[in-house]
Formats: sequence, C-alpha cells, structure tokens
Amino acid sequence: MTNVSFDAYTPTWCPGCGDWGIRVGIKTALTQMGLDPSKVLLSFDIGCSGNMNDFLNGYAMHGLHGRALATAIGMKVANHDMTAIVIGGDGGLYGEGGNHFLHACRGNHDITVIVHDNMVYGLTTGQVAPTAEEGFVSKSTPHGIIETPVNPLALAITQGATYVAQGFAGDARLIIELIKGAVAHKGFSLVNILQPCVTFNKINTYQYYLQKTYKLDESYDPTNKQQAIQKSLEVTEERFPLGLLYKTERKCYHEHMTQLDKPLVHKDRFTDYSSFVEEFI
Amino acid sequence: MKYNWKIGGEAGFGIMTSGLTVSKIATRSGYHIFDYAEYPSLIRGGHNTYEVAFSYEEIHSPLTQVDLLVCLNKETYEFHKHRLVRESRVIYDPEMLEVTEDVIKIPVPFTKIKKDEQIQQQMLNSVAVAASISLLGADLSVLEQMIHEQFDRKGEDVVKFNLHLAGIGYEHITSSGAQKLEVLKHRPETPTKLVMTGNEMFSLASIPADCRHYASYPMTPASSVLGILAAWQYKAGIVVRHPEDEISVINSALGSAFAGVRSAVGTSGGGFALMVEALSYAGVAEIPVVVFLSMRPGPATGLPTWTEQGDLLFAVHAGHGEFPKVVLTPGDVDEMAELTLVAYDLADIYQIPVIITSDKFLSESHKDVDKAWIDQLFASHTPNRGKIVHDTEQSPYLRYKLSEDGISEMLIPGKEGVFYQANSYEHIEDSHTTEDAIVRKQQVDKREKKVETYLKNHFKMPKIYGDLDSADIVFISWGTNKGPILEAQKTLNGSHKTAYIHFTYVYPLPEKEIQELFDRCKGKRIILIENNAHGQFGRLLRMLTGITIEEKVLKYDGRPFFPEELVQHVLSEHVHQSEGHLSTQEDVMAKLAERID
Repeated sequence: MTNVSFDAYTPTWCPGCGDWGIRVGIKTALTQMGLDPSKVLLSFDIGCSGNMNDFLNGYAMHGLHGRALATAIGMKVANHDMTAIVIGGDGGLYGEGGNHFLHACRGNHDITVIVHDNMVYGLTTGQVAPTAEEGFVSKSTPHGIIETPVNPLALAITQGATYVAQGFAGDARLIIELIKGAVAHKGFSLVNILQPCVTFNKINTYQYYLQKTYKLDESYDPTNKQQAIQKSLEVTEERFPLGLLYKTERKCYHEHMTQLDKPLVHKDRFTDYSSFVEEFI
Repeated sequence: MKYNWKIGGEAGFGIMTSGLTVSKIATRSGYHIFDYAEYPSLIRGGHNTYEVAFSYEEIHSPLTQVDLLVCLNKETYEFHKHRLVRESRVIYDPEMLEVTEDVIKIPVPFTKIKKDEQIQQQMLNSVAVAASISLLGADLSVLEQMIHEQFDRKGEDVVKFNLHLAGIGYEHITSSGAQKLEVLKHRPETPTKLVMTGNEMFSLASIPADCRHYASYPMTPASSVLGILAAWQYKAGIVVRHPEDEISVINSALGSAFAGVRSAVGTSGGGFALMVEALSYAGVAEIPVVVFLSMRPGPATGLPTWTEQGDLLFAVHAGHGEFPKVVLTPGDVDEMAELTLVAYDLADIYQIPVIITSDKFLSESHKDVDKAWIDQLFASHTPNRGKIVHDTEQSPYLRYKLSEDGISEMLIPGKEGVFYQANSYEHIEDSHTTEDAIVRKQQVDKREKKVETYLKNHFKMPKIYGDLDSADIVFISWGTNKGPILEAQKTLNGSHKTAYIHFTYVYPLPEKEIQELFDRCKGKRIILIENNAHGQFGRLLRMLTGITIEEKVLKYDGRPFFPEELVQHVLSEHVHQSEGHLSTQEDVMAKLAERID
C-alpha cells in the first residue's frame, strides 16, 4: 500500500446532491478492496458526475462528453492488469455516448461503469436526460419529453453486459457492495445509481425513490436472465429494483486477445517483422 | 524505356489481381513499376481498370499513352482507345469487339477459351496476364512461380489448372506469330524489390515504429490498413480494433496512448470529421496520437474510390480551440515509410496529434521499393518516446509542469504513489481543473512553445528536385503530386530548366526560412500544383508566410495528375495565369493531341 488516498479536492456539488454519496461509495469500495489511486484507471465523463475528476484521485482521463467508455476501453487495451472504472451521468453514457454503451456491452470489456442516473442534465442547468419519464418537463422540453425513456438495465442485459446492478444514492452501503461486486467481476459491469438532482429535478426526489425502490431479496437469482429482464422492465410501472439484477460469466474482451500474454504496455517491442516485409516481394 | 500496360473489365472480373500480378512480374524481372487502378464504388458491375507502367528507371506516376491494352470487355476498348498510338497493341477477343483504330491487333479468343476450358470469368485473368507477358518477352517461369505462391496452399489440382491456363495464354501468342517484344525480358541485375501501396507502407512501417494499438472504422481509401494490421496483430503482439464509429476509434486510441502505448487511427475525410473533437482533447491533455488520413474527394460521401487533396486545410485546422499539431504529407511510398516512423516519434516527443496524409492515389497505387533500403531503414530505427517515462522522481507529480521547450514529463500510469489526470478542462501543473486567468495563459503558452521547439529541432525544409538557382520554372506542391511532377520534369528537361519544391512537413511552417527559400525564386515562373479546387496549400502558404503564388494548376475531377497535363500547362502559350484550372483529363489530352498534330 502507498500512502496516497482517493481524497482529492472537496466536491463542489450542491448540498444534498446524490453525487456525494456515490463518491463515498466508490472510494470506500475501492479502499476496502485494497486498491489505491495508483492502481486504478479512471475515465470520467463530462457533467456534474464527471467533475469527480478533481475529487477522486487515480490515473484518470477526464475526456469528452459521452466518450468516457471509449477512452476506458483504450486504457484497458493498453493495460489490462489495472482496474478500469468509468464514472459519468445518464446524459453522457446513455445519450451522447449511447452507441458506445451498446457496443461496450457487446464487447464485455472488463470495465466497471458507474452511472449517476438522475434523469436530468445538471451541469447545463436542467435539460431533460434520456432516462427521464415520458412527459418530463424541463428547460429543453417545456411541453414534456416526447420520447420514451432509455432502459439502461434492459439494454445492458440484452446487449451482453455480464454484471448489471442498480443502486440508490441514498443507500451508500448497497452502493459499496455493488461496486465491489462490479470491480471484482471480470467483464462489463454496469452499476446504475438512481440519484436525485436536488436542484433541477423536482419529480425524482429522495422521497420519490424511497417510495418506488425496493431491494431484491436473498432468494432472487441473478443468473436467471429471463427474470432479470422482467425486473429491468418494472421501471415502466415506476418500480425500481435495487441490487444485483444479473450476472453471468463470459470471456471478457482482452481474454480473447491471445496476443496479450501480458499487458500491451509491458510487452517488449516486436522486431521480428521480416516476414511482413517479405509479403510484398 | 517506359512501357504502359493496361487491363480493363467489369468489376468482379479479377482485374485488381491481374494488375498486381503484372506489377510483380515486372519487378521480379528487374524493372521499376508504378501502377494505378480505377474502379467505381460498387462490388459487381461497373468498369474497373488497372495500369502498370514499367521502366529501367524509377517511375513515379501513371503514363497517358497506353502501349498494350488488354480488353476483357468492349468498354475497355471504347473508354481507352484515345490513349493508344500507332505502335500500341491491343489484346482483344474478336467475338467481343472490333478494333477500329490504326493499332497493332493481337486477337485472343477469350470467349472460346472460357467455353473450352469451362472456366469462370475471373480465371481468364491468368490467360490474359500470360498472353501479355508472352507478348512483352517476360519469362513464363516468373508467372509460374507466382501461381505456386498464390495457390500452393489450395492443393496440387488448383496449381496445375492455373499453370495450364497460363500456358494457354502464353502459347497462344507464341503460336499466333505475333511479333514479340523484349520490354519485360528478364534482366540480369534484379535486386529484390517490394511492390507496395501507400496504405501497405503505412501499415508496415507502423510495426518497427512500435505502434501497439491501431483502431479504425472502415472508410475508403484508408480501409486496407485495418485489414493488414488486423491480420498481423497476433504475430506482432499488437491490438487492432474496429470499434462502432470513428468517435470511439479515436477516443479509445487516446485511452491507450494515455495508458502508455503508441496508438494510431486511420480514416478518410468523413471519418476524420467525426474525430476532430477528440483531436482537440489530445491537444489540451497532451496525448500523443497518430492519425492516418487518406483523402478522397468530398464534400460528404463525395467520390469514394477516387482521389483528391481536398482535406489539407481541414487537417491543419482540425479541432476546436488552439493547440499544436503536426501535419506530414508523404509524396510516395518511400516517403510514407520514412514519415510514418517520424510521425510516431513526433507524436510522442511533443505529446501532440500528428496527422500523416495520403490520398487514394498514394493509398492504392503500387510502386516498387528497394527491399534492402527498407530493411536498413527499419533496422536502424529506434523509437524515440521523448519525455514519456515509466518512472519519475517528481513528487508531487506535475504532469503539466511548465518547461522551456513546452514539453512536460508524461508518466505511464502504474507507478505506485503517483496519480494524475489527462484533463480536457484547462488545468494547473498537477492536472487539476482550473479557471485561473494566469494559469490558463501559462498553459496555453507552454503548449504553443512546442511549435517553436519543433520548428527548431524536427521540422524539415522541403526537398528540391532540380537546380533551383538555375531553373526558370519552379513547381510548388506537396504530397502525392510529387510523382507526376518528377515525370513532367523529365519530359521538360530538354527544353526547360525546372525545379520542384516538394513540401512534406506542411504544418507548421517557419515563416522566415520559407520566405528565404522563395526569395531564391524571384523572377522565375512559379507554378502551384494541387489536386484540389481551392489551391489549399497556396492558401496555407499565404497564411503562414505571406507568400502568394499567382499561377496555379488545379485539378479536382477525382483523378490524379498525369505528367503530360503538367507538361501541357507549361508549354501552353495561352496559359490562363492563375486560372489554369484543368477541367478533365480528356480535355487536356485533346488539347495536347491538337498541339502534336
């Protein structure tokens, strides 16, 4: 262990914002797993959640809005021995970066994706997010949003993610447990965290979630894909299961790359290329 | 001696394979080659052509005159008969078409052979190639050797059958009594040559350059790099990925570059357009990345399988905000080898995006390359990663530490007790976000200092072909016009003194040195040659140095320059100064023909 801590600057989030709890959940989970900032590759999206770049230490990229998954995949390609974590919001990861999300699930990249799902764009001061309920009124949808919401859990399960969980910003203990499970899991892990935006979302409040969420009980079997899909569809009835919905074992992306006998960054330079040259004679 | 062989037929006939076979027969027989293919953006149907120019001397571009035209369909003759001269030969099937021009006719009964041998259309290529080389005086054994290399793994029967077909074509010419030439006769001195396109050379040179992650989304004419490197990745121990879109392509390359491995992406204009936001991220976060940009005519989908130098200014200006980048524009396959090695080093040394351009003309035309030269170039190359390190003495770690040369130490993630971020927001030295006015300016100045350092340490002045001081005419160009210009110079040499200033390090440029170079051109006829409509390099030159070139030859019909067009422009007495826009190659050839008559 080194003496560096995950604690960086004091967050600038609004008092009462769910991000506070999520950050505590992340750093506690990582610390409990024996990790420290020098052992993790973090990829932050852009937004209030992505601003955690200055509040959580690590070897990090704070890249472009919507692209945190793409950068994380590259980080993992270069060094698959390090833990890779994506931290972002619903706008970046399901909206602008929705395409990357879909394909990252398919690839089963060994990455943990922690999504702050608050159904609204906070940092740009209150426009609708792709997870918002149909009819949600916001600055960009004064007459209510027309589109039906993205269903991240169903999307992840059906597109090939191998660890799909949902937490709630008001339950730090559960977040810690789910993130530890996700980081330990080899493969693409989604931890979708329901998070009230106290400033711009007056609908999906702590009170709302306390009423609409429930914990999956111990009898729930996360290896049952059909059942997991059923659970993921409950959002249409405004019911939000909390816990590990789905888990399966599948070879992750870098394990398919037989040339990666060790991390790409630690390999010796390849110099035996004379046969490549000879292909052109 | 220069000789130009051309074959044409429908897409799907296997024209590309036959063309490459002829190129390799020529190099293996001791000749230099340059080949060039034209095809529409279709998989079947449409008209495909492939021409191979070969010579005792190095040859840099296609030639207008066709000496042997092989017609696998009627269109080939109709579309290209204007490029024949009286001494030209035409291989054709009298059942298929009639040769009306006054040329030397070489009938070969393709239709009958196809029927007698019960073969697919593609297999007629073996017959056509064998007939061609029989006529041109090459040894059949060279073709036979290639058939073995191509088909041995498919079993003895396949090899035997292809040898049989080659025999039919070769013997047909011998027994027809056609006068055989000796232009492809095996030469005693045949140093080993490679036959390579620009794309193949970028791929190949990326290996000794130690590129470890190549990501790309297919887009003509850059796509073949992805296929070549993907096939090599297991042996070379590198990772080659085809992500969901170009945005993912470049962001994943930045991820791997941040995590310590040399990374590159490849695309054409449309894909590059999707990448530019990330290019800007690479700029502010100082992440090295190489972008292979193979241009095709735009805007939008444009002419996918044709050529143009239309994206120079786009490359130079790509990315919002202000940050340093380097743009390199190799002119031929040899320069692609050298500049690919340079591109990866510069990206690392300056921790910036480096764009290396190609275009369909360079990406897909083969040229011979001396194997011994390539072996030496690669063997003597040691990648220079500049200030990218696995370990550091710094504590606390300052990723963006201010420095005299503008370059800060970049630690590869993993060292214990250290962490930092590649921050797309403006940042302080330790990489945390800032909006402080003084720090902002310091960081901008630091990044901009890299330009000064680069111009001092790594920028190379343009190469000059010909004697600039005694020349009356000076061609100015960049990238792949090099070949046609060098060939035009050869033609003009008897009557004119010409020099060519060939730019490959096109951006950034040192104002003073370039001005001094142009001072040496005062009083001369200076002609800007570009394969685009805007004269983009001319604009860049004016922007960066204040130099204005009035006389321009611009071509933007999707075709590369033919040397004869440039010769024609120089010779023309009515040269429409500054309006020397060439409409189509056919117009120019018509004009040239008038002149010759």
